[in-house]
Amino acid sequence: MVRPSLLVRASLLAIWCVLMLARVAGAQGNYEIQVYGADTVAPKSLMVELHSNYTPTGQTKVIDGVYPTNHQEHETLELTQGINDWAEVGFYVFTSEQNGHGVQWVGDHIRPRVRAPDQWHLPVGLSLSTEIGYQRAVYSPDTWTWEIRPIVDKTMGRWYMAFNPALERTLHGPDVNQGLGFSPGAKVGYDFTPKINCGFEYYADYGRLGGFDSLHEQQQQIFAVTDLNVSPKWEINFGVGLGPTAATDHLIVKGILGRRFDWGKKSVVD
Amino acid sequence: MTSRITRRRFGQLSGLAAGAALVSPAMRAATAPDIALEIAPYTLEASPKHRFKTLAYNGQVPGPLFRMRQGQEQTVEIRNGSSEPEVVHWHGLFLPPEIDGAMEEGTPMIAPGGTVRYRMTPDPVGFRWFHTHTFAGKDLTKAQYGGLHGFVLIDPLDPRDAPAAYDREVFIGLHDWGGHFAGSDDGAMSPVYDVSTMNGKMLGFGEPVRVKQGERVMMHVLNSSPTEVHWIALAGHRFQVVALDGNAVPRPQTVEMLRLGPAERVSALVEMKAPGNWVMGEVRKHIQSAGMGIVVEYAGAMGSPVWTQPQQLVWDYRLFAEAGEKQAGARESTRIELTFDSKFEGHGSEERWRINGKSYPDTEEPALKAGERYRLVMKNESMDDHPMHLHRHTFEVRRVDGSPELEGLRKDVVLVAAKSTAEIEFVADHPGRTLFHCHQQDHMDRGFMMVFRYV
Repeated sequence: MVRPSLLVRASLLAIWCVLMLARVAGAQGNYEIQVYGADTVAPKSLMVELHSNYTPTGQTKVIDGVYPTNHQEHETLELTQGINDWAEVGFYVFTSEQNGHGVQWVGDHIRPRVRAPDQWHLPVGLSLSTEIGYQRAVYSPDTWTWEIRPIVDKTMGRWYMAFNPALERTLHGPDVNQGLGFSPGAKVGYDFTPKINCGFEYYADYGRLGGFDSLHEQQQQIFAVTDLNVSPKWEINFGVGLGPTAATDHLIVKGILGRRFDWGKKSVVD
Repeated sequence: MTSRITRRRFGQLSGLAAGAALVSPAMRAATAPDIALEIAPYTLEASPKHRFKTLAYNGQVPGPLFRMRQGQEQTVEIRNGSSEPEVVHWHGLFLPPEIDGAMEEGTPMIAPGGTVRYRMTPDPVGFRWFHTHTFAGKDLTKAQYGGLHGFVLIDPLDPRDAPAAYDREVFIGLHDWGGHFAGSDDGAMSPVYDVSTMNGKMLGFGEPVRVKQGERVMMHVLNSSPTEVHWIALAGHRFQVVALDGNAVPRPQTVEMLRLGPAERVSALVEMKAPGNWVMGEVRKHIQSAGMGIVVEYAGAMGSPVWTQPQQLVWDYRLFAEAGEKQAGARESTRIELTFDSKFEGHGSEERWRINGKSYPDTEEPALKAGERYRLVMKNESMDDHPMHLHRHTFEVRRVDGSPELEGLRKDVVLVAAKSTAEIEFVADHPGRTLFHCHQQDHMDRGFMMVFRYV
């Protein structure tokens, strides 16, 4: 079995590699920073999550009419309703708070998701999410975007791994002719105790499929994260992320607080 | 593979030669056995859309019903036509460890292609069963997951000693199929199943139980599920429970439903006085919809089978026991304290199960003196209920679910609820190594076993 210290070493190496990347100005929006697991919310259940992300060190200039991200506080409300044993639909309300701008509504997204049913007995968790929505131009030059996100995850003993090779498409905005962009996310976690999992999350935007941006124009972030499994009803995630490229906010603190609510009266004989 | 599994595997293999050598072709030809079992590959058709490649006894699931009379010696011959070593455990019988059917006690495994032959004396009276007692690990098609099980009924020498009179007997075996591991609320992986059956068939796909109005039907229900507790009701009817695990209860009671932990049996009389077609099935909707049910059809009845959905799960061992206040001069028992818990091994793994902080084969081997009475005080500190089974003995349930002292409730499996303490007593009257374990296949595979030894 690989010891936790090896995970730490590997992760430090990954951070070092990312730090070596060059920095170039750019824009980004950190509203929901999460690597998805393959599971879906159960039917008759509503998951309410609050994503709180603060950028201590980010972009300080207005670029292409987009507000700087430095010292922006993003609060995102995510509501996810389970449809059946293999489908859910999520809805997002994005907001931003910043000195001089106050609390602002940023946009909304809707995200249906399906997963491979348990009866398929796949060796990995597998699901497919698609997300479409609007965000105001002062927060993102591309106002209408669409994303399709395959999700693969696997739990092996104390280890958890997830990979989200997401593809994004701008429907309205400067990048409308850019085609599909590749924005992968990945997570590795280790159960130190039944309640505490620690690990790393990686987020990137490589640019257009078939013509990736140069490294210093790409968005690259790595977060040290912890998940607290205090109850099946609660989701608690906390992380600190570094973004070494100029297209990335350099330091971000994120937190997710989620609570599952079960609808209706569930009987012991259901 | 862990060293523990390797050690158990070593135990299996070391017994193979002895097991295979028990019978020669000449011996086999000499006389036909009273009980002949052949273990061979089999495809179970739970419904036309649900087929499972597995192993079966004598080409059927459940295996055959063996009916025998108490004390009358039987010749048993078992041929292993599978590709893996096998062993047959005679659950609830007082047999010597050499043939009881657990390699932890010393029963030799039967090598692939091998045959064993031995004699056994059936005892005690009542509804028993037989099943495989091998290791499955992460393969949820093997061992008890595969459904190798059959019924045994040991009749008393004097028919008047039967617990109740009846017109017809029906044997029902409950089982779950298509298992796979999934995360559970307690944080570890547990088996979940695609299909649940009665007598190997999903509801609507098996032969109905055919009855006549006015009959008293003795239902012998066995839960052979590898891991699951089941709740069973018969719409339009009630069960008069007369025996648990084959042993007559001191207080027969009429109940709306039965609860059976893995390996438990209930013998209950049903008075057929509601003509029609009815569903006997799992009370919980999601399990009945996975197939666990059977149609009970009155002679001449028309129409679709009817199910009446109960709204509660109701069962209490205490209903069937006498109050057991300590009698003056009653024989003292020696207490053996056993604490059950588990060791977390990650959300992607099953827990490691422990008795007094140790997992088999490192668990303690308490010494028993023949003729002495022992009380096992089982403190379940885990989040799961555990069906605890003592081999080769019958025990008396003395306390369960916070009850006062009980008396007369004799069983060989007791479901010890999560975060509770149960107490059972038995007389050490069958010398030899005696296995004690949780009957959940995944739990015993993960160390939830110990052996008592006689000194």
